[in-house]
Amino acid sequence: MLIIEALSHIYPGGTKALDDVSLTIPKGMYGLLGPNGAGKSTLMRIVATLLAPTSGFVRFDDIDVLKHPEALRRTLGYLPQDFGVYPYVSAEAMLDHMAVLKGIADRRERRATVEALLVQVNLWDQRRRPLAGFSGGMRQRFGIAQALIGAPRLIVVDEPTAGLDPEERNRFLNLLAEIGENVVVLLSTHIVADVADLCPAMAIICEGQIVRHGAPGDLMAALAGRIWMKSIDKTELAGVREQHQVISTRLYSGRTVIHVLADRDPGHGFAPTLGGLEDVYFSTLAATPSHRPAAA
Amino acid sequence: MLARVAAFEFRQQLRAPLFWIATVIFFLLTFGFMASDRISIGDTANIHKNSPFVIGQTHLMMGLFFMFVSTAFVAGAALRDDETGFGPIVRATPLGKFAYLYGRFAGAFAAAALSFLAVTAAMAIGGFLPWIDPERLGPFRPDAYLFAYAVLGLPVIAFTSTLFFAVAAATRSMAWTFVAVIALVTIYAICGIAFGKPDVEPLLARWDPFGLFAYDVATTYWTASERNTLLPALKGALLFDRLFALALAAGFLALAYPLWGQRAAPGGRAAAPSRRPAAPARGSAPPAAPRFDRRTGLAQLAARTRFDLAQVIGGPVFWVILGLGLANAAGSLWTATDDDRYGGALLPVTRILIPVLDGSLYTFLVLIAAFYAGELVWRDRDRRADSMIDATPAPDWTFIVPKTAAVILVLIATLAVGVAAAILVQAAKGYFHFEIGKYLLWYLLPGSVDLAFVAALAMFFQVVAPAKAVGWGLMVLYVISRFVLPGMGIEHNLLLFGETNPVPLSDMNGEGRFWIGAWWFRAWWSAISLALLVVAYGLWRRGAPGGPARRIARTPRRLAGAPGWLLAGALLAAAGTGGFIFLNTDVWNAYRTQIGDDRWLADYERTLLRYETVPQPGVVAVRMAVNIQPGVPALEATGTYELENKTAAPLRQVHVRFARDLEVRALSVEGARPTRTFDRFNYRIFTFDTPMAPGERRTLSFDTRLAERGFRTSRRETRDLTAVVHNGTFANSFEIAPMIGMDRERLLTDRAKRRKYGLPVELRRPPPGDLASRAWSYAGHAGWSASDITVTTDADQTPVAPGQEVSDVTQGGRRTARFVAEAPILQFFSIQSARYAVRTVRYEGVDLSVYFDPRHATNVGRMLKAMKASLDYYQANFSPYQFREARIVEFPDYGRFAQSFAGTFPWSEGLGFIADYRDPSRIDMVTYVAAHEFAHQWWAHQIVGADQQGATVLSETLAQYSALRVMRRLYGPDMIRKFLRYELDSYLRARGGEVAAEQPLERVEDQGYIHYRKGSLVMDRLAEEIGEDKVNAALRSLLAAYAFKGAPYPTSLDLVAALRAQAPPDKQALISDLFEKITLYDLKAVSARARRRPDGRYDVRLEVSATKLYADGQGRERPAPMDEILTVGLFAAKPDSSGFRPRDVIALAKRDIRSGTSTFDFIATRKPAFAGVDPYDELIQRDAAANTVAVKQAG
Repeated sequence: MLIIEALSHIYPGGTKALDDVSLTIPKGMYGLLGPNGAGKSTLMRIVATLLAPTSGFVRFDDIDVLKHPEALRRTLGYLPQDFGVYPYVSAEAMLDHMAVLKGIADRRERRATVEALLVQVNLWDQRRRPLAGFSGGMRQRFGIAQALIGAPRLIVVDEPTAGLDPEERNRFLNLLAEIGENVVVLLSTHIVADVADLCPAMAIICEGQIVRHGAPGDLMAALAGRIWMKSIDKTELAGVREQHQVISTRLYSGRTVIHVLADRDPGHGFAPTLGGLEDVYFSTLAATPSHRPAAA
Repeated sequence: MLARVAAFEFRQQLRAPLFWIATVIFFLLTFGFMASDRISIGDTANIHKNSPFVIGQTHLMMGLFFMFVSTAFVAGAALRDDETGFGPIVRATPLGKFAYLYGRFAGAFAAAALSFLAVTAAMAIGGFLPWIDPERLGPFRPDAYLFAYAVLGLPVIAFTSTLFFAVAAATRSMAWTFVAVIALVTIYAICGIAFGKPDVEPLLARWDPFGLFAYDVATTYWTASERNTLLPALKGALLFDRLFALALAAGFLALAYPLWGQRAAPGGRAAAPSRRPAAPARGSAPPAAPRFDRRTGLAQLAARTRFDLAQVIGGPVFWVILGLGLANAAGSLWTATDDDRYGGALLPVTRILIPVLDGSLYTFLVLIAAFYAGELVWRDRDRRADSMIDATPAPDWTFIVPKTAAVILVLIATLAVGVAAAILVQAAKGYFHFEIGKYLLWYLLPGSVDLAFVAALAMFFQVVAPAKAVGWGLMVLYVISRFVLPGMGIEHNLLLFGETNPVPLSDMNGEGRFWIGAWWFRAWWSAISLALLVVAYGLWRRGAPGGPARRIARTPRRLAGAPGWLLAGALLAAAGTGGFIFLNTDVWNAYRTQIGDDRWLADYERTLLRYETVPQPGVVAVRMAVNIQPGVPALEATGTYELENKTAAPLRQVHVRFARDLEVRALSVEGARPTRTFDRFNYRIFTFDTPMAPGERRTLSFDTRLAERGFRTSRRETRDLTAVVHNGTFANSFEIAPMIGMDRERLLTDRAKRRKYGLPVELRRPPPGDLASRAWSYAGHAGWSASDITVTTDADQTPVAPGQEVSDVTQGGRRTARFVAEAPILQFFSIQSARYAVRTVRYEGVDLSVYFDPRHATNVGRMLKAMKASLDYYQANFSPYQFREARIVEFPDYGRFAQSFAGTFPWSEGLGFIADYRDPSRIDMVTYVAAHEFAHQWWAHQIVGADQQGATVLSETLAQYSALRVMRRLYGPDMIRKFLRYELDSYLRARGGEVAAEQPLERVEDQGYIHYRKGSLVMDRLAEEIGEDKVNAALRSLLAAYAFKGAPYPTSLDLVAALRAQAPPDKQALISDLFEKITLYDLKAVSARARRRPDGRYDVRLEVSATKLYADGQGRERPAPMDEILTVGLFAAKPDSSGFRPRDVIALAKRDIRSGTSTFDFIATRKPAFAGVDPYDELIQRDAAANTVAVKQAG
């Protein structure tokens, strides 16, 4: 269990990236949802021991992460949001190198581990190719393979699906779902579907603060009967915004479909609709002043 | 559009830190040169620091260095968009390729040109600095700055910018572009080595885009006054060269366009599908559990080191740097064995190659260390792999330790490859005596350790620095500090990072005891380097530590435990070794610096030179016992001088002087008391109780000890005692015995230094003929004396002193030999002792011997032969040899010279003993040197000049003349002509670099280029004109008048008078020209036409122009009327070419040549190819190549 308490971080420039964040993350997949710049990566980097926060406390099982980062690293798998690779180095060689760094010193054990992981992430056929030539999805699968070396109990995965095409994204999420059964997996993303598909628990972070957390089902239940939908012309949007709390808009067949949040039927042709996780997310963001949803 | 792109690029460049850093660096470099009297670019004591010549030279030098900056500018302009990933966006704009490419270039070039103005500005400002010695500065010359910037500097910048812009456009890689830069530098360095060879020089002068060679040729033989006032004329080779640079620039610029392809984004190569084992079954292996123990640590260390090494040697850049370094080293190694004075050669012995290898490879090694430290420390960040790597459980030390190890391993591998190159060079030169042990112990091992220090420093800088470029900048500062700090008087190796004592190498004496000090310094720097690495470990960035303060705050926790103990241990070791070194260098021995030595010399002169003219008694007999303890090392000398008042008046005082570091254990003078002692100068004045009457004799007794405890700190050259060593002791009397009276040997001569320390700028000797100073010779006040010297040394060594060996006893492990000279000797003799092999031949009643190291037998036969030939000529033409023995005695390579003491000729193992004469076309330097030194037995050891101007004519010029006569007998006139061509070139070059004033030969003041080089030319021409017999008759008359006689000592005027007495009336003016004036000729064969006659012979008409000039000491010339009989001739081949044979001479005639143009007609039996005046270069002329011309067919 990963416990984060009162975590704040201010960057040297004065940017407040995290503001008193507290979370308790149980075993299994945990989704951290938030728009770009919400502080997700900062939180992930702190958990991954790469960043010392300005204040606060992080604990994993019985490890005080901030005091003993080296202890956490022994049981950590981390897939950074954006990572580069070395020239001329193949996937297999790099994975082998990472295995050494992760403490698998025995050559035979290491080879077995590397082979098993290459198969698991379906990179066996590409193992001799230089990483530099990998596509985004292949690179992310390599990233998860290296994160899995040494059977970590905490896996931190930062924005892994950004830039993947739907098929690659699917394949990647399946991989995550497989491993997320027995360990703590902290997944950050700005894509609602990632969380909706995978995570039994989640939190929404915005402007450095946790604005909502819980099981996706519970959060959606809280919105039951409060989401209303209408299909309008684009030109009407401004007028509607003045009268209703619009939480999302999207285009459908040339018309704009809007969701508004209201305790009662707002009339004017609005129809009730089932709230999805997306509505939870957007309604939460809409509650924060600087995050008015724009046309999607 | 192009202009707008250019303007944008220009602003972009000016905003980048590179522009300002480069501008500031070049400003400071140039300014530092102007402001310092220790750095020199072509200026000497009497060439102004802001003279047109120096301004031009500086712009060219800086232009060469600036290549790195201009390359960064233009390559940055070419590559920036690719590096930032902005490329596709720019390429998607409607901007045309032409405007894009050339706009970028124009902006970057403008920035480079602007930045280079820093050099001009720094020089101009430096010319007004108040603290520069005003005599080192000339008037402000705007035209010179304009010329230097626009004509010399700018084309170089244009050439390098365009070239490397094209390279960057083609390779799309900053690394490859810089590899190309290094390649160019290396090629240029190789050209620099080749420059100076007569056939390459005119080629390089025309086709060198950097202009240095052209400038050198355009200003060769310029005198100081010309250098201070003239700008080279923009014509001939220089004009051609400048236009060539611009043409190249235009060419490269044009070439950049097609080279700039629209390359696709880099993609990975597909793997070869050959090996493709089936995928293991899914989940077949149980996940391995990580372990974190010692074994894992070692595996991580090994794997990380391998990985980091692979990152260095896997990329092409390393191999190219290595290749270039090797090319540079190979060039240096190949020419290391040139004995360049007369085109001789040495055998490529290991000891000679090691310092060359070290010198040529070192810069590349530092470059590798600095570059890859930066690359490895920042690699994970640069590749954005840091998050992934930093979050692994690998311990903190697995970052810095393997990276440091990888850099060090790469450096060691490079050293080893250098050794292989040296061995290959040896083999290629047909030398197969490979001494692998020496390469390992003398080079690879110490070199590796020294480079490890550099690697540690580079790593430390990179860890401390906030960015890679800053880390590199710190390394640049370190490299600069190695030059600058010693100039500021900081020469202690304890203070100069990574510096150790130099270890002079010798085959005779190995590394001697000099390695001890060097390794103590290595221990000290090892401790410091270790401490730096531990601190760097503590500060290592892992993750984002968030500012320096937090990094430092985190450090103590990292250092807890083993690293802390390591740091403490390193600091303790540093304290221990540092303390012991300090004890050696500053307590047991004196810490001395160049500046301190200069000041000491200045004070010495200020305090003591006033005693120079105090009349002194002569030494008529020396009895001395010398006890050499090679292993200690110590040399004790006890003995007596028999003093005699040879003057006509009573003497009140005797002045006794000792070498600076000689310990004087006892000193007494019969009937005299010490009345004044200058301890700092080891100088004592004794006053007689009753003055010494004329003719009276008194005894001086002394007991001295020359020894050294521990070691000193030294740079470049060792300051440790080299006179007394395990094998190869070589001490001269000045170093171990008292000197009588003060003289001006070894005083400060550098004009700038003299001025700096408040001494009269010139230390002029009295003019020849001055009466007072004829009382002593330039060898001192002591005069001629009998000698009886006993030398004791270890039993396995052979002691040598001047004179006949009258006894030689070995007992109790010590060998004692006594030497008594058969003829009077000067108070200037040497004591030697080593494990010698001796080869002796008896010839004409004289024992001719060579004392040599048994491994150096190659040229012993040649030396003996030279001694025989010398003895023959000198006894037949001068006078009988005064001793019954003549000994050539080898000494270690701690000095590279040969010297002539009474009957003994110490000769360095670095010269004649390893000279290589397998190529018979080379000048036989062994015979020349042996004959020269042997000739000194007459010209120094029979007659010695009074201590005034012209004294060395009587010794060096006459020895040179004598040696050339011997050489002529052995090798014929062709070899002598070749020799004299070297002499002429060397004289003309050196006179341009004269710091005081060039003197006519008869007034020469210890100026080697005059008494040796010009002396050879003068005496050879004289012998040609009046006949060898007449010259020798004059020399005999001189010997008859002055041999072994005391005061008044002879002067150069006596020589000139003796020559005049032998010369016919029509040669008296020639003698004036040769000895009393500085005479130069400009002879030119203007044209030659041949017309076939009906009888099959040829009418040849040769047109010649001639000018004779007299120059003053500053090189100002005035024409003189010329009317001389010179040789004119017709030839089938060029007379100075290597294939020239005697049968190529078709006609030779003596003709009267007057100033201006003359025409000569010949009838030749064969058709000539060349015609010329003074074809054998007997006259001193500046353009010897002009005096022959190819014959044209007419009609």
